[in-house]
Amino acid sequence: MEDMIFYDRLQFAFTITFHYIFPQLTMGLSLMIVYFKWKYLRTKIDKFNNAAKFFMKIFAINFTMGVVTGIPMEFQFGTNWAKFSELTGGIIGQTLAMEGMFSFFLESSFLALFIFGEKLMGQKLHFLTGFLVFLGSWASGWFILATNAWMQHPVGYEILDNGKFVLENFSALFTNPWLLPAFLHNQMASVVTSAFVMASIGAFYILRNKHSEYGKLFLKTGVVFGLISSVLVAFPTGDWNAKNVAKYQPGTFAAMEGIFETEEAGAEIVLIGQPNMVAKKLDNKIAVPNILSFLTYQEWDKQIPGMDQFEDDELPDNIPALYYSYHIMVGLGTIFIGVMALALFLLWRKKLYNIKPLLWTIMFLVPFPYIANITGWYTAELGRQPYLVYGLLRTSDGISPTVSSGNTLFTLLGFVALYMLLGLLFLVLVGKTINEGPTPKTH
Amino acid sequence: MTGTLISLISILIGIISANLFGYFNKKYTFGFKGNTLIGVFGSVLLIKSFGRLGFDPWSIMNNGDFDGLRLLINIVVSALGGLLGLVFAKWIYLKMNKKLEN
Repeated sequence: MEDMIFYDRLQFAFTITFHYIFPQLTMGLSLMIVYFKWKYLRTKIDKFNNAAKFFMKIFAINFTMGVVTGIPMEFQFGTNWAKFSELTGGIIGQTLAMEGMFSFFLESSFLALFIFGEKLMGQKLHFLTGFLVFLGSWASGWFILATNAWMQHPVGYEILDNGKFVLENFSALFTNPWLLPAFLHNQMASVVTSAFVMASIGAFYILRNKHSEYGKLFLKTGVVFGLISSVLVAFPTGDWNAKNVAKYQPGTFAAMEGIFETEEAGAEIVLIGQPNMVAKKLDNKIAVPNILSFLTYQEWDKQIPGMDQFEDDELPDNIPALYYSYHIMVGLGTIFIGVMALALFLLWRKKLYNIKPLLWTIMFLVPFPYIANITGWYTAELGRQPYLVYGLLRTSDGISPTVSSGNTLFTLLGFVALYMLLGLLFLVLVGKTINEGPTPKTH
Repeated sequence: MTGTLISLISILIGIISANLFGYFNKKYTFGFKGNTLIGVFGSVLLIKSFGRLGFDPWSIMNNGDFDGLRLLINIVVSALGGLLGLVFAKWIYLKMNKKLEN
């Protein structure tokens, strides 16, 4: 049984991690495409329009890969998580269906119109199609987050005698106090990824001395969006999320912050340290006293319950993984603010385009927002364990009892092979697009 | 479980068929990038729309009892999806740009 849970979780973790590489870019990029298109409408300078069309090509490749890698997830609900689907389908089926019907169709239809229909529709309608692509991709995020928010903090449900969850209050799904902060935090994090991708392509063009005019535009836009979104990810959205965790999942909060023992007069914030699960303490700890109490409750001496206040089965089942995921996310977020603030300062001083070490740094930083986004999701998902629906349905009660671990392992290996192929295809397609550049071809 | 893998294989078939069709019929090609993207959507659309007639991944695995003939039909329909996707996309593209040429 333990084996079955492990392999089911491993397979889902692998497929969803690979899947989330793509939507996190499309959601942020759609906002920046709308910005470029809006700039073009206002100024009539062609480079803004070319930039919008160039990034819509990258958007289309990512969107397609998101569709391909999203399909196995839909199957996995039925194959690996049949009990979960059976018990909670009456609730999560609503939001997932809305995601497909409203957002995905909106996004895909207007994406095709944006790519093919510029000349036919004229510029104002072309802007509108870009805006609808943005709306579709963010609405998609909203419905997925509504599903996840219900799993993190279930509301508006009733449990029938047969154990099935049914929806008692539809609007409660969308007024869930977990949803808005999680959505805003997630969307801002996706803008961080897009901003770094854009800035990185810009830095690449400047360093290669190729499409330099666009390179400067991409770098400048990426840096401005990057700094604003990196700050917004931390405050207020990240702060709001952390307060929600402290309020609704206090055991998870203690585990992700690494608080093993309750401190009487205010909790410290841990900057560095390694959880020692045998001695139940943090090794090699560097911490600042009372800061965590202040950040969470705006009171220096407020007591925050440590892990010693909870039974073992009330705590997440993999505390080190949760702790490291959370600290990697926060650490990277802090680095992003520093790098983008420095870049913006140098942009203001008109030196950014000439400082090669910083351009190289920005270019090679591109994988890190992806890592931060994914570790952020690991924090949310590991923090909810050992539950699928917090406090109500255990992960061990949601798996498909008839699917063997050998079967899951075999298909996991198949996914790894196929996704490697897809990953290569993705890199070739994006590489070709970047190499061709945003300058329109002249025939 | 294997059904999930088959759904991915169908998409790859769609990508390959769209690219092959585009390669041999230059009139319909959108280049490697365009053909690949259209191949994905073409195969997904056809399998999602008609797969329940008996050749979707669930039916192929039929509770663990693999049916090769259904897989073959699935592969042919996926390939057709990629090919028809390209024809349809070209038709839409020409329709949308026809007005400008007149």
